[in-house]
Amino acid sequence: MTPRPVVLVVEDDREMRGVLGVALRGRGYDAIEAATGRQALAKLREAPPHLMILDLGLPDIDGVDVATHVRHEHDLPIIVLSARGEEEQQIRALDAGVNDFVTKPFREGELMARVRAALRYAAHGRELGELQVGDIRMDTVRREVSVNEVPVELTPTEFKLLHILLSEAGRVVTHHQLLSEVWGPSYKSEVQYLRVYMRQLRAKVEEDASRPRRILTALGVGYRVAH
Amino acid sequence: MDAARALFRWPNAPPPTSARPAEVPRWHLYLLALCFVAVSTLVAIVVEPYASIEDEAMIYLLGDTLAALRFDPKLSVFTALLSILTCDFLFIPPRMAFALTDARKTLTFLAMLVVAALVSGLSQRLRVQEQTASRAAQANKTLYELNVELSRSPELSDLAAVTKRRLQRLFGGEVLVLLKDAEGKLERPFQELTAAELALAEGAWLDGEFSAHAANGGHAVWLPVLGKSEPLAVIGLRLSAPLDPRSEEGQLLSACARELSAAIERMQLAQAMQRAVLAAETERMRSSLLSAVSHDLKTPLAGIVASGTTLLEHREKLDPQVSRSLVSTIVREGERLGQVLQNLLSMSRLESSGVRLRRTPEAVEDIVAAALGRLSDALALRPLVVDLPADLPWIQAEPALIEQVLLNLLENALRYTPPSSSIEVSARTVGGFVALKVADSGPGIPEGERDQVFEQFYRGSQAKKRDGGVGLGLSICRAVVRAHGGEIGISEREGGGTVVEFTLPLSPPVRVPAAAGCCEVAV
Repeated sequence: MTPRPVVLVVEDDREMRGVLGVALRGRGYDAIEAATGRQALAKLREAPPHLMILDLGLPDIDGVDVATHVRHEHDLPIIVLSARGEEEQQIRALDAGVNDFVTKPFREGELMARVRAALRYAAHGRELGELQVGDIRMDTVRREVSVNEVPVELTPTEFKLLHILLSEAGRVVTHHQLLSEVWGPSYKSEVQYLRVYMRQLRAKVEEDASRPRRILTALGVGYRVAH
Repeated sequence: MDAARALFRWPNAPPPTSARPAEVPRWHLYLLALCFVAVSTLVAIVVEPYASIEDEAMIYLLGDTLAALRFDPKLSVFTALLSILTCDFLFIPPRMAFALTDARKTLTFLAMLVVAALVSGLSQRLRVQEQTASRAAQANKTLYELNVELSRSPELSDLAAVTKRRLQRLFGGEVLVLLKDAEGKLERPFQELTAAELALAEGAWLDGEFSAHAANGGHAVWLPVLGKSEPLAVIGLRLSAPLDPRSEEGQLLSACARELSAAIERMQLAQAMQRAVLAAETERMRSSLLSAVSHDLKTPLAGIVASGTTLLEHREKLDPQVSRSLVSTIVREGERLGQVLQNLLSMSRLESSGVRLRRTPEAVEDIVAAALGRLSDALALRPLVVDLPADLPWIQAEPALIEQVLLNLLENALRYTPPSSSIEVSARTVGGFVALKVADSGPGIPEGERDQVFEQFYRGSQAKKRDGGVGLGLSICRAVVRAHGGEIGISEREGGGTVVEFTLPLSPPVRVPAAAGCCEVAV
């Protein structure tokens, strides 16, 4: 029997912490809890978990700083909980290396889907050669892409964009990250470049570009590939 | 006095533009009088062979009269005397001698003198009247223009600037208009005024009286601008010549000050009224906000607490289906509560002064997809048509707010239409805008209510029959859309139903380069 994955829940609200623990255990995970940033860092040193759910509004340390700190020492996926209207904080957290975010209030199913995706991402890591996410397949050596077994012709820029999104599948990639990887760091505020190419890319890989299913938008934050 | 900091740097100041034209020297006029007589004499000599002595006298009389039209009485009498002497010397026998032998001739000469004096007196009076009238007309015109310009000024500082510019044009020299500061005292521009000048300005302000004094090689004047109950401003002038407050120019200056005073009071009154209206409006808003919020928050809360306690008390006895429905009530009502709070937060953010939208170029389809995604459960049971052209231009918007507009519109469509009726989301380009449309096939909104439903806490007559309305959703939609520079409106759908359409401005076009190291052209 494989050991149950351990999830560290860092959340200062006791009720919320309790509910998350119940939900996680119900889904077959082991949940350990921390109420402050300091406690979380201590628990991490004791025994590193497989995944961390981190509330951004902690009483002692700024959530983004906790994430940055954890990123330096551990390679575990982090999912951030934040309130609506805190897009700037979400982006900071994602740029600090957090995998994904969920806005409060959220449904249990929504959070668990992200947990599963993040754990899967952690298991695969960034791959070279053949990438397969859902029904999109990419051969990075022969530079070929197919969607649902149908070959798709991509321009070099579109290919680069899709490559990043696929190798980070299940993760939200922020506008900044995409822009600086594809166009270079000095272009990281030119969100409009991204929109132009993303629209072209979607026209090629989505059945209905106005209702995308494969490349999803995290509004005001970035893009993710549906896992 | 510190010359460098003095208000009036006289040597550089422009010369007064309204100064009277320079007087013609007196001896020029006497020369002119001689000319008149010389011309008369010339004419008299020419016509002599055909004329009598009376005619010659008439010629001189004509010359004198013409001269009198231009000259003052003294000069006219001088001209007339000169004419009489010349006429007597040249034409009245005995010729080449000053001798008056004929009483009739004497009478003629006397008449010439009287006519010259009378004509010149009359014409001078006419000239003076004409000048006075034209100066009065000029002053009226000046005041009128000042008045027009003042009434067009939106700010207190503009009033001061307008007055300053006008006075500078009228009187030349340098002009300063000091206004009342926030504490109700006279403003003290230390950079522009020396301490001594400030003291004089304050003196005029406190005493409410005109003060004039010579200083720094010129004449300074301080004139208070008085309101009905308090001083409003002080006008400072530096002139080349002293200004008598009783003179026409002095009167004009005080008239300008009165115009300024009226303009300031008008503006203060308008502002006070605006504040009063705003205060009343805020008060009304606050009370309706309180009642609406307490209703909209209490209703879902009541549902949550009732369902939760029922579950807690009767857990074992409840039918599994019933407990499931109670739990879903808690979830549904909780989410509704969240939506109400989100709307309230957005509203307060949009209404707080100085709010700045974080606008970026956005793709409409992204925002639509996000909103549809959030409502995917509720929309799953509905026929949904999404019609977004593939070449829709980008909009300049804060995406979360636009998403909220769509959410509110879609939730209204879900709430107020039959469970299986269709909903349509579409977009098109209209001029410099993208127009987004959410259409349903519900009962529609009566024409008379289509504007009112955007008012805060107004709930449509259809909405009142059902529970759950917020009365805030559409007003937030309007606030968001307007904050973006767009408009929102309701119309009727063909075949029945409601169409809500709103516009958002396009983002400015950019040239998009390919990725670093790539060479391709965006299609």
